[in-house]
Amino acid sequence: MACLIVPDLPAVAELRAHPELAGLPLAVVSESGPRATVLSVSPAAAHAGVRRGSAIAQARSVCAALCVRVASPARERAARDALLDVALSASLRAALAPPGEGVRAGEAVVHIDVSAFAAGSERPRSGPPRSETGLATALAARARALGLPAAAAVAGSRALAELAARCTAAREGPDATCVIPPGAEVAFLTPLPVDLLDLDDASSERLTRFGIHRCGPLLELCAGASSRHAAARLGPELLHLLERLRGERSEPPIPAIRDARIEESIDLEAPIDNLEPLAFALRGLVVRLLARLAVRHLAAGEIDVELRAGRGRDRRHLALAAPTGDPRVWLRRLRRAFEHEPPTAPVDFIALAAEGCPARRDQLDLFRPAGPAPAALDALLAELEALVGADRVGVPRIPDDHRPSAFALEPFTLGPAPAAGEAPHGSESLRAPVLCLRALRPPLRAEVRLRAGRPAWLRSAVATGEVLHCAGPWRSSGGWWSEEQRFAFDAFDVATSDGRLVRLRLDRLRRVWEVDALYD
Amino acid sequence: MVAPRHQTPAPVSNELALGEPLPALPPSIRPLIRLGGGFSEALVPLPTGIDPVDRLLGGGFPRGHLSEITGPPSSGRTSLALLLSATATRAGEVVAWVDGADAFDPSSARDTGIDLDRLLWVRAPRIREALRSAEHLLAARGFALVVLDLCRAVDPPAASALAPAAWMRLARAAASSGTALTVLGRDRLVGSHAALVVDLRAIRLRFATSPAWLEGIEARVALTRHRLRPSEGFVPVHWKVPPLARGVPDRAGPARGRGAAGAS
Repeated sequence: MACLIVPDLPAVAELRAHPELAGLPLAVVSESGPRATVLSVSPAAAHAGVRRGSAIAQARSVCAALCVRVASPARERAARDALLDVALSASLRAALAPPGEGVRAGEAVVHIDVSAFAAGSERPRSGPPRSETGLATALAARARALGLPAAAAVAGSRALAELAARCTAAREGPDATCVIPPGAEVAFLTPLPVDLLDLDDASSERLTRFGIHRCGPLLELCAGASSRHAAARLGPELLHLLERLRGERSEPPIPAIRDARIEESIDLEAPIDNLEPLAFALRGLVVRLLARLAVRHLAAGEIDVELRAGRGRDRRHLALAAPTGDPRVWLRRLRRAFEHEPPTAPVDFIALAAEGCPARRDQLDLFRPAGPAPAALDALLAELEALVGADRVGVPRIPDDHRPSAFALEPFTLGPAPAAGEAPHGSESLRAPVLCLRALRPPLRAEVRLRAGRPAWLRSAVATGEVLHCAGPWRSSGGWWSEEQRFAFDAFDVATSDGRLVRLRLDRLRRVWEVDALYD
Repeated sequence: MVAPRHQTPAPVSNELALGEPLPALPPSIRPLIRLGGGFSEALVPLPTGIDPVDRLLGGGFPRGHLSEITGPPSSGRTSLALLLSATATRAGEVVAWVDGADAFDPSSARDTGIDLDRLLWVRAPRIREALRSAEHLLAARGFALVVLDLCRAVDPPAASALAPAAWMRLARAAASSGTALTVLGRDRLVGSHAALVVDLRAIRLRFATSPAWLEGIEARVALTRHRLRPSEGFVPVHWKVPPLARGVPDRAGPARGRGAAGAS
């Protein structure tokens, strides 16, 4: 079993949300006002002498430069979930220890079942199988990368791993690691004080009465044939705890977590009513969200955004063509969404939620031209959609529509290249050289003089002059069943004296002349 | 298609005598094989599919370089770029069309023979987004051709309005990705960063008289700059309107053909 512990979760959650406070003395207090008590302190504040449980006035008297923040349940929940994501990067069988069951106030504990790796029936989710020391080091490093200084320990049982992680964090700092190999449990426990076992008051009092202050004598007392007598005198709970620590008592299995929905939120100290500070706040959230997904080897294809402004809520669903873990792409997408439709009121709470999904993997063909790599193509499409808009990137399609210049766009999915000699699906045979049209969107209004019912002179933004040649009209109409879709055009191919060759049309419904395309 | 006359031969290592096996390989794999030497010099150019033009250009548009197609409206520049794209997609390559003018016509692309499944159309709303899109496409690698269409019908961009640094970045990105980047403009925009510049001018319009019918245009395709192979010259090209692009003109009623509506 492995265990990850973050000892000072409120301070860590605050530093994770505000990296600019790193290195400064920081105290997280229970409430605003002079009656607040210190819940958690940063290492710099602890070094300056600020202690948990002290009053805010007392803490300020000890450290004048103390930064004070009010505890945020949303930030702590996000930090706790991020710690679980680190655990899930190693194994799906991971769980947060519920508060109250041996977990101290201001502490986050995650248990990870890595027994399948030891048995060889399962490989770690990232990289090749590694030793217990390598696993603990990797877990601590991943947690540090997410802004969570966590102590990691690997031991034979869940209780022992938690105890080892807590002792290591207290002794060597929050980033330390500890591995207790099989058979070394007693050697590890012997010098520890019994206070670390988190016993209830009655058990502690009994041990004090017996003069037992360290785990070594307690283990000797409870070992072998004398265990029944010790259980009778000290209570069965203490005996069960020692059995769990030694790995002699089975523990309930940890269920696998397959939910990949990740949430990040922030309570803003002052409401935001401008796009620039909103983008700044979103940046931190997006970076943290995608970093958590990246730890689990996932990317985000859709993000749910919730903005709270007073009592009002603004919920938006944003999507990209392909999942990506690049924060720049998502930031551009969010910025574009908020530029297009800004929040209606000052925002005081922001929450982002994403369902993690794996990046696409495909096998390329060796004997056909190599197109873009699938992962690169996904990221590219996401970048382009964020840059120009989701409805402006894709594969051109010609809809079943007689309307001139009708077109459609479909998502770009790259299939295998046609084999040599095979005609591409949906394409005409190569006719060279073909004179093509350039569409004018929207069509340009034109002033036309007629002679014998045909255009004789034309003035527009693209062609002006006497009509030298004119072919047509080609009449097209349709959509008669709907007022919005109804159209009727008379189109002419017109060459003007300024050298332009354009497609001129008369909108017979509106009685206006337009140039809708240019031969080029 | 005529073999490119001025294609740079791939240098063959003395230790690696491929000699005979190379012609036996499928044509589609040959551009992927690099036998030492410079990156871009070893890549086969992208042909346009018009033999005289390909001979003039030394095989086609060079991969890994920035090229330009210029000319006034109605000179055939878009037709040349679409034909280049059609040849590439039919060889199984992937092409991107960055539409900075919002003028791409899918029907014309299909008439030219483009495999639309292998064409990525990016409708950039402004020039700035078009340049950024081209940068992203080149950075992704794998595209044989990226066409950057800056032929805006109204208010076309001037060369002075575009920063030279942008072209330098694009040229470098094209070199590192091995992609043929082709800029479509009314006048020259790229400057000295263009390895190849092709200028088109319409010589004559062809209209049939009875009935009045647009047959096409005759244009002159001129090579005005080739940094890899200094030369100049021009060839005439006859761009024809595809036979099914129009119905039969009829003053009395709806046309018969693809352009006509069934219900009116």
